[in-house]
Amino acid sequence: MTAVASSIPPQWYLLLATAVFCIGLFGVLTRRDALYFLMSVELMMNAANINFVAFALYYGDLTGQVFALFVIALAAAEVAIGIGIILVLYRNFGVTDVTVPTEMRW
Amino acid sequence: MIDVFSYVPAIVLLPFFSFLVALSVGKYLPKGGAFGGIAATAGSFLLSLWVLASVAGGEAANRTLYTWASGGGIGPTDVELSFGILIDPLSALMLVIVTLVALLVHVFSLGYMNDEGETGLPRYYAGLGLFTASMLGFVVADNLLMAFMFFELVGLCSYLLIGFHFREPGPPSAAKKAFLVTRFGDYFFLIGVVAVLATFGTAQFGGPESFPALAEAALAGEGSLAWTPGGVGVQTWFTVVGLLVLGGVVGKSAQFPLHTWLPDAMEGPTPVSALIHAATMVAAGVYLVARMYGFYALTPTTLAVIAFIGGFTALFAATMGLVKDELKQVLAYSTISQYGYMMLALGSGGYVAAVFHLTTHAFFKALLFLGAGAVIIAMHHNENMWDMGGLKSKMPVTYYTFLAGSLALAGIFPFAGFWSKDEILYEALVHAPGEPLLFGGYLMGLLAVPVTAFYTFRMVFLTFHGEARSDTARDPEPVRWNVKGPLTVLGSLAVVTGFINMVPVQKVLGLEGIDFLHLWLDNEWGGIEGLSSHHYGDIGPYSSQYLVGGEVGTVLAGAAVSLGLALAGLGVAWRLYNVPSPTEHTAKLGGIKDVLYNNYYLDELQVWLAYRTEDVAGGANTFDQGIIDGVVNGVSSVSLFGGSRVRRLQNGVVSQYAMLLTLGLVALILVLGLTEGGFL
Repeated sequence: MTAVASSIPPQWYLLLATAVFCIGLFGVLTRRDALYFLMSVELMMNAANINFVAFALYYGDLTGQVFALFVIALAAAEVAIGIGIILVLYRNFGVTDVTVPTEMRW
Repeated sequence: MIDVFSYVPAIVLLPFFSFLVALSVGKYLPKGGAFGGIAATAGSFLLSLWVLASVAGGEAANRTLYTWASGGGIGPTDVELSFGILIDPLSALMLVIVTLVALLVHVFSLGYMNDEGETGLPRYYAGLGLFTASMLGFVVADNLLMAFMFFELVGLCSYLLIGFHFREPGPPSAAKKAFLVTRFGDYFFLIGVVAVLATFGTAQFGGPESFPALAEAALAGEGSLAWTPGGVGVQTWFTVVGLLVLGGVVGKSAQFPLHTWLPDAMEGPTPVSALIHAATMVAAGVYLVARMYGFYALTPTTLAVIAFIGGFTALFAATMGLVKDELKQVLAYSTISQYGYMMLALGSGGYVAAVFHLTTHAFFKALLFLGAGAVIIAMHHNENMWDMGGLKSKMPVTYYTFLAGSLALAGIFPFAGFWSKDEILYEALVHAPGEPLLFGGYLMGLLAVPVTAFYTFRMVFLTFHGEARSDTARDPEPVRWNVKGPLTVLGSLAVVTGFINMVPVQKVLGLEGIDFLHLWLDNEWGGIEGLSSHHYGDIGPYSSQYLVGGEVGTVLAGAAVSLGLALAGLGVAWRLYNVPSPTEHTAKLGGIKDVLYNNYYLDELQVWLAYRTEDVAGGANTFDQGIIDGVVNGVSSVSLFGGSRVRRLQNGVVSQYAMLLTLGLVALILVLGLTEGGFL
C-alpha cells in the first residue's frame, strides 16, 4: 500500500487536488442552493486535505496528516454553523436559495 | 522667596475673581455684586500702595512667572513666550492710579447704576471687574506679547461695557464701532509684536536681554539681531517696527485718524466712560509707548511722527469739542485732545511729562466724568447742556469738584493740569528747534490750550451757571454719599496732584528735589537698570535749546504763554456764556460750525472708505466662492459620484461576491505571475 502510494509522483496528487478544488469552486459559483454551497466548500477543503496528506507522505513527516485532521474538525464545525445559518435563512425567507435574500445591499 | 512682589498677581486676580463672582452668583448678591467689586478693587488698591511703597524703598521686580511656549524662532535664537511681572516706578505708579480710579468708579456705580434701578447689574459689575483686571494685567506685563493679550482683553471689555444697554439701538452700534476701530489699529500692533519677536528673539521690556537693550546694542554696532528683513537698514527697520506697534496705540488712545470710536463710546454708562477715559482703555496706548520708551527713543522718525500726531490730535479734537451740546460729548473730545498732549510729550522726548499728564489727567478726567454722571442723575439722564443751567446752588459738592476738574483740564494755575500741560509744552518747545514736525506739533498743542479752556468753561457755565432752562434743572434729583464721596476724593487729587512735579518752580527758584516725579521715574529711589528717564534722555535724539533768557527764561516764558492763552480762552467763555440766559453763539461760525459739529465729516469718510473696500471684498468673495470652494466642492462631488456607482457592486447576492473574490484572486495571481512579483 505504502509502496504503491509513494510510487506515484506528487504532481498527480496536485492535479487531483486541483480538480477537486475546481469542482468545489464551480459549485459555489454556479449553484443557488445554500446546501450545495456547503457541499462545495466541503470539496474545496478536502482538496486542501489531499495536498496535506500527499506532501506528508512525500516528506515522511506527520505534520501534514495532523493538519488534515484539524481541517476535518474545522469542517465539521463549519458545517454545524452553516446548517444553522441555512435554517435561519429558511425560516425567514422560506427558501434556501441564496439569490433571494438581497436585503444586505446598498 | 516670598516678598511684596509675590502678591502682584493678586492685584490682577482680585478684580478677576470679582468678575467670576458677579457673573456666576451676582444675581443672588445684594446690589448685584457691587460689594464684591468694591472689595476686590479696594484690595488691589491697598496691595498697589504696598508695591508703590516697596518700589520707593528701592525694590523692583522683573520676573517671569510662567513660560507657556518655547521653541525655535527665526534665526538661531530660541523664543520663549511667557507671562511675567515688571514692577518698576512707572508700573507701580500706574497700578495705584488704575486701582484707585477703578475703586472710585465702583463706589460711584452704586449711585449711578443701583440707585437708578438699572437692570442687568451682575453683568455690569462683571464687566467692570474684568476691565480692571485686564488693565492691571497690561500694566504689570513684562513682555510685549503679554501686553498685547491684555490689550485685546481691554478692548473686549470696552465692547461689553459700551454696549451695556444693548436693547437700545445706539449702544450696540457704538460698541461694535469701538471694537472694530481699535481692532484695526491692533492689527498693526500684532504684526509689530511678531516683528519684535522675530527681530530680537525676545519681547521683554526690561533687563539686559530686553528688546530695547538689544536694539540699542545693535544700533551701537555691538551684538547681533536674530533677524532683519534683507536689504533694510537696522535703523529703518526699527522705525517700521515702532510705527507698527504705534498702530495699536493710535487705535486705543484714540489718536487721529482712529479717534472716531471714542465719542460714540459715550453711549456706555457714565462710570464706564470714566473708567475708559481715565484709567483703563485709552490710557493703555500711552502707557504702552512709555513702557517701551527705550525702544522708541532710538527711532527719531517714529518720535517725530508721534509728536506730530499728538499735537494735531490735541488741536483737532479740541476744535470739535467747541460746538457740542451734550455734556459727555464735550468730555469725550477733551479726552482725545488730552491724550494728544501725552503723545506730543512722548514724541518730543518728554517721557516724564507724558507720565505726569497721564497721572493728573487720570484724576481730573475721572472726576469730570463722575461729575457729569452726577449731573446726569440729577437731570434724569438728559445730557443736553442747553436744558441745564443754574445747578451750582442745587448741587454744590458736584459743582465745586467739577470746577476743580475743569480748572485742571483748562490748565489754570495751580491746578494739576497746569503743571503737566505746561511741562509737555516746555519739553516740546526746547526740543523743537531743527525739528519741523516737532515744532508743528508744539504749535498745534499751544493753539489747543485756549480752545481747551474755552470749551471746558463753556461746559461749566452752561451746566452750572445762569438760570435753570428746564423743569428738571429747576428741581434736580439729589445724589447720595456714594456719588459725592468719589467726587470729593478726586476733586482733592485734581487740586494737589500737580505738586508732585513742580519743575518750573524748581528751575526758577533753584530748589532741589521738589520734582518728585522726575526723581521717581529716574530711579532715584530704585528701579530697573535701563528703564529710567535719564537713560531715555541719553539715547534719545533730542538736545535742549533755550530760546530767551536761558533755561529759567524759557520756563517762565512758556508757562506765562500757556497760562495766558488758557486764561484768554476762559475769559472768552466767561463773556459769552456766564450770563443768566446764554444763547448759542455757534451760529456766528457759519459753515465752520457744521464742519465741526459733524466732526470734520470723518465718520462719513470712514464709512465711504469702508464701502470702497466692498469692491475688494467682492473680488475676494468671488475668488473664495468660485475657486477655493469650487476645488473643494469638485473633489467632494467626484467622490460622491464615484461612491454612488461603486456601491452598486454590493447587491446582496452572495454568489456574485464569491465570483468577485475568485476573479480578484485569479487576477492577482496572473499579475504576480506575469510580472514575476516585480511590483511587490
